[in-house]
Amino acid sequence: MKLLARIPNRELAAVFVSTVATFSFLSATFRTKDNIEDILAGFSHIGLLAIGQAFPILLGGIDLSVGSILALSGMIAFDGFLIFGLPGPLVIPVMLLAATTAGAINGLLIVKCRLQPFIATLATMAAYRGLTYAISGRQIFPQLATQSINDDSLLGFDGNIGPFPYAFFLTVGVAVLAQLVLSFTKFGRDLFTVGGNIEAARLSGINVGQAIVISYAMSGLCAGLAALILVSRMTTSQENLGIGIELSAIAAAIIGGVSLVGGTGNVIGPVIGAFLMGVILIGLSLLGVTTYAQPVLTGAVLLGAVYYDKLAATKRTHRTGTAA
Amino acid sequence: MTTESLLRATELTKIYGSMVALSNASIEVRPGEVRSLVGANGAGKSTLIKILTGAISPTAGEIVIAGRKVAPGNPRRMIELGIAGVYQHSNLAPTMSVLDNLYLGRQPTLGWGILDRHRQRADALALLSKYQIDLDLDARISELPPVKQKEVEIAKALALEARVMLLDEPTAWLSHSEVERLFRTIRTLKTRGVGIIYISHILDELYEICDTVTILRDGLVVEDCPVASITRPQLLKKLIGDKLASEASGQAGAQTRYPRGTGETKLACEGLSKNGAFDDVSFELCSGEIFCVTGLIGAGRSELMRVIFGADSFDGGRLIIGGEEVLIKSPISAMERGMGFVPEDRHRDGLMLKMSVGQNLVMAILTLISRFGMLRPGLMAHAVSRQISTLKIVPSNPQIAVRKLSGGNQQKVLIGKWLQKRPEILILDEPTVGVDVGAKAEVYAILRSLRAAGAAILVVSSDMEEVMTISDRIMVMRGGRVQGIYDANTVSEYDIVGHVGGQ
Amino acid sequence: MNDDRNGQSIRGNRRDVLKSMTLGAIAAGTAATGVLGGGVLTRSQGQARAADKAIKMAFIQYQPHTVSTAWAKGIQEVLSIQPDTTFQLLDGQAKADVQISLMDTVINDGVNVIFVQPVDSVGIAPSIKKAGKKGIPVFTLNIDSTAPHAAHVEMNHYYGAIEIAKAMGAMLGGKGKVAILNAPPGIIIRDQRTNGFVDGMKKNFPNIQIVADQVADWDRKKAQDVLTTILTANPDLAGVYGVNDSMALGAMDVAKSKGLKLVIFGNDGEKDALEAIEAGDLSGTQYTDVFQQGRFAAATATVLATGGVPATAFTSQGHLLMPYVIATKETVGSIGSFQRW
Repeated sequence: MKLLARIPNRELAAVFVSTVATFSFLSATFRTKDNIEDILAGFSHIGLLAIGQAFPILLGGIDLSVGSILALSGMIAFDGFLIFGLPGPLVIPVMLLAATTAGAINGLLIVKCRLQPFIATLATMAAYRGLTYAISGRQIFPQLATQSINDDSLLGFDGNIGPFPYAFFLTVGVAVLAQLVLSFTKFGRDLFTVGGNIEAARLSGINVGQAIVISYAMSGLCAGLAALILVSRMTTSQENLGIGIELSAIAAAIIGGVSLVGGTGNVIGPVIGAFLMGVILIGLSLLGVTTYAQPVLTGAVLLGAVYYDKLAATKRTHRTGTAA
Repeated sequence: MTTESLLRATELTKIYGSMVALSNASIEVRPGEVRSLVGANGAGKSTLIKILTGAISPTAGEIVIAGRKVAPGNPRRMIELGIAGVYQHSNLAPTMSVLDNLYLGRQPTLGWGILDRHRQRADALALLSKYQIDLDLDARISELPPVKQKEVEIAKALALEARVMLLDEPTAWLSHSEVERLFRTIRTLKTRGVGIIYISHILDELYEICDTVTILRDGLVVEDCPVASITRPQLLKKLIGDKLASEASGQAGAQTRYPRGTGETKLACEGLSKNGAFDDVSFELCSGEIFCVTGLIGAGRSELMRVIFGADSFDGGRLIIGGEEVLIKSPISAMERGMGFVPEDRHRDGLMLKMSVGQNLVMAILTLISRFGMLRPGLMAHAVSRQISTLKIVPSNPQIAVRKLSGGNQQKVLIGKWLQKRPEILILDEPTVGVDVGAKAEVYAILRSLRAAGAAILVVSSDMEEVMTISDRIMVMRGGRVQGIYDANTVSEYDIVGHVGGQ
Repeated sequence: MNDDRNGQSIRGNRRDVLKSMTLGAIAAGTAATGVLGGGVLTRSQGQARAADKAIKMAFIQYQPHTVSTAWAKGIQEVLSIQPDTTFQLLDGQAKADVQISLMDTVINDGVNVIFVQPVDSVGIAPSIKKAGKKGIPVFTLNIDSTAPHAAHVEMNHYYGAIEIAKAMGAMLGGKGKVAILNAPPGIIIRDQRTNGFVDGMKKNFPNIQIVADQVADWDRKKAQDVLTTILTANPDLAGVYGVNDSMALGAMDVAKSKGLKLVIFGNDGEKDALEAIEAGDLSGTQYTDVFQQGRFAAATATVLATGGVPATAFTSQGHLLMPYVIATKETVGSIGSFQRW
């Protein structure tokens, strides 16, 4: 089928499968049910963040503030449960709404104040982190720091079906929904158009500003969902949660084939990319490689992915035509 | 044709403050008519186009479309009424398919925002067959050659049910065969009753494809007649005035040619080869001559120039400069040997668009105007103002950002940048693409004065008219090989076209 | 004009294959480096491991610090005597989610005992419960967790802090203003060391005012900045209690540079602190023999791991309090050099 040949993630899936196979062969503990569960549980939130990150990158932008939005969302949950004693069905929507709004603010800064995405999200990365510290229940009431959250609806997110955590199903569900929007709706086409040639999009009557704000709001929402998973797992939250996690999300998105120049990509690739990083990091841990080497290796994989992305972009260009 | 006109604009005037951009200009297009709109930059052409597409409102005058008077200044309304523009810059999303681009931003939906792919494809196929445009709907724009991308732009305009199309310099970046193809499409559009306003600087094209011509000069319509009723010299005169016209008309007899210049060989290639680009290229370039290299796209000319300038490496043969064999590893070493290079894509490879005219002009000679690594403003200002006046760069303010200049003036800045270095060998790749006739003449004059000063000039050009106007010797390349080297005195344009095409 | 028409599709396909192979090779290569032991392993091997009988232990620290390094040293001293044990030291990078991930990994790796210095007492609880379900005993060092586990070995935070208050109060002559340079919230040890100090002051020297209690992140440099700010608001400050030695030493730096005579107490008993006491710059600290703490923990762990006493036999959580000395100029001499860490 012509469509099958055009799936951009063939090579990534192949790399994923061969990596898993290699580690399974080299380490007996890798190929256990528990390990699958660990990888899925440990990297589902990265998968969510990568899905969220795909939207701004598709537009040719980037979102550096996801780690801070995640922490802010988590802290709102902490305060809601432990300071105000509110129930899950109230706190969870509020934390997600806050995360989405934080993302939308990023979009507005880019559209209304005409800031470069890098600059805007760098600023909000600092601002949202500061806000997290300011509202931190743990700082205001230090005794809460040693109290765990016991809300049933929250803890309900931390369960399993076999080796598959609920978090994994959430990630897959969000990925499927997001992909449906990208492939089958006019809004999805508009996103690709804006990412491919923003002037052409404007002249074609597409509401570019709206597309930008919605995309960054999506990124924020995914950060909120990731926070939900983490808080549910830890039964608490910290101010420094998610520092540096934006790099993993961006790496996963790029490994997943979302091009940094915009206009190309999907959300299935980023999810595979996130779990590929998990497989590599955990596989190496099980083989005895020190944790100090892990950031170095993440960097190396990211470098490889970016280089590959550049080669692919050049290949997509007809020599005498417009570059993609 | 006695049918009613598709578009009739009368007495259009546009005044900005005290400056009159357009004065009482009238233009009319009938179904199936291809009307060319010519004028030097600054003559009011772009103002007229902007009024017709609704981007700006005229100070006076009226527009009538299909018999009904229309309120100007509303771009969406103009598009709805069937006025569509196809410009030089791409209006397509390069990462998406042809099918998506045809309906960019207006894809049919099934409610809830879900795309109706079936209907979109069916509509597209019907459109393509109606206008006999051959496109692969699933191809990605970035993977298509320029002529195909142009066709997509035209089809996109047709999908909007354009009745009048403005084609702005459609053949820039197209090869001969691609131009032919484009003309075939235009002729089909004619038979379907579409009216076309064709904007171009290339007079050959006017005479080949257009029915009528409207000439603008200094904001006024100075001529409006069928193309068949005006000769080329007459047209040139109307366009740029008498004096420049005779400079630009380049009748072979009026020009003195200097094949082999002073006889001293500045640069020679012996059997130069590069895998996948060209093979066994040999020629000699002398000081005091203009040596043109021409041929079809794919002949390997630009690759050859990049190799000579050190921007790429070569795989076989020798390059000899000033009598000794050299291996040029980079443009820096080429520059040290007195070479300059004016590239084909001035926006991408030549100019710093956001920087000022002055900054661009001195870019190649920074060491000459600095002391101890620091730029000396006095020297810089002197060099810049001298260059601006010699080259007649308009506007003459050196602080203006170069991207605000017209194409012709940008090209002059680019050449000026290299002239500052007083190169012994200057290579130019398609120096007058997108440059209006007046500026072209000025560029030719600059090249001739360089030649008189003893420089060896190598020009790559696809414009036959240009080749016949300025060259002393002509080298034709075909399929990566040298087809022949000719003395411009003894060969005619007809012969050259034949050699290029393959006789 | 440029040209590139011939052979492009063939070259394109070849490039595709090469690229997937390269990516795959990178993946395999990184795996192979791990196996071929790329020189960055931190497992310290005991004797040759028999796969079944070898006992694996892992210590997940908060982040690299003199205290946790000393614990690790103490643990390894004991383990090196035992046959067939391996010990792995892991860095929590001061992040709760990193520690959780490390716990998961070592549990899956089949360790027999886990030592952990939690970043977040609540956050690590689910992971401890998970280990418990698999019958892996967990020892917490200095920072307790809310989930029940085999044993908690800690310095005597609460009572030691009371004694520090008593010693400081005496030095201040029973009156004056003091400030506390504190740890970030979220760990029980902070509460214990702070509450002990506050309670001790209230009970014994009610005239002494605690005018400030600011977070200085366990860090010497941060403590300098924080104290400078406190001094601006309270120029007549007389005493400072740093909840760990690093912060107390930071206070000492500030006092020295400003030429102030402050009564400064730390907590932990680091080598640098002891030297500062001998030099007269630091007033005192609570010294615990941290090597000994590590040794205690390791010894108990080995007993549990060799099956001598199963972890499930503990009906209540074990709680070992380390003996301590309030080291001041008078008493510091009694601490031998081999005990300093």
